[in-house]
Amino acid sequence: MLLGAITGARGLKGEVILKSFTQSPEAIANYGPLQSEDGAVKVVINRLSPVKGGFAAKLKGVNDRNGAEALKGIGLYVDRDQLGAVEEDEFFHADLIGLDVVRGDDGVIGKVTAVQNFGASDLLEIALTAAKGTVLLPFTKEAVPVLDLAAGRLEVNPPLGLWDKGGTPDDGQDEAKTAKTGQKGQKR
Amino acid sequence: MARSVWKGPFIDGYLLKKADKVAGGGRKEVIKTWSRRSTVLPQFVGLTFGVYNGHKFVPVLITEDMVGHKLGEFSPTRTYFGHGSDKKSKRK
Repeated sequence: MLLGAITGARGLKGEVILKSFTQSPEAIANYGPLQSEDGAVKVVINRLSPVKGGFAAKLKGVNDRNGAEALKGIGLYVDRDQLGAVEEDEFFHADLIGLDVVRGDDGVIGKVTAVQNFGASDLLEIALTAAKGTVLLPFTKEAVPVLDLAAGRLEVNPPLGLWDKGGTPDDGQDEAKTAKTGQKGQKR
Repeated sequence: MARSVWKGPFIDGYLLKKADKVAGGGRKEVIKTWSRRSTVLPQFVGLTFGVYNGHKFVPVLITEDMVGHKLGEFSPTRTYFGHGSDKKSKRK
């Protein structure tokens, strides 16, 4: 799992500039040794301090600028097991992304491409196989009744009107009517 | 400058009617709306709105914490959502 990347060298004493992709940026130092994608380079963060554009990090065994520059561009990965346990009905986004989305008799209708949260509830972003673009689905027990990580699939039951026609669209007719009458809003 | 209290919260009248209709009907359905400027009222708690962001309808399940905010606040119109490779989500 990609947690960060080394973007450059800093100073003469072997510090690197590190960009963190973790939810809490400082948490990148808490996951133990990190490694490059192919596992050839192993990195242990000794010290981390915030600077413009990320963090200045002192890595174990890197003591001069040449050593730091050699690491530039390396992605920092960690094994999935090192991320720790989750509670019941809690999932890492990395585990959800890529799952097949099954809807009733239609079978597989797409794949989960991202998990978003815009301040309301968590949302699954699903790329449909039959259509262009993506759709969003609330990550709730009602909308996602079955989630089987081992089988790599989840079953969905989208609320009425979210993906299908129907529901209660707030169509433009009403808006046009209120515009004509000059009644823009309503006081409560 | 904050909105005067005597005016009350703003909400588009047609949206309020639709929300009352759905809440009264007891059916779980999404109320699609373009009215991002409307305020979330206490009677909306538990309803799901599909709030248009210029591109698609973002499902917004209303909770108590959201009362007083505008619907548009929960449906961003720009596409950078940040990193978070170790993020977790709970199915509620």
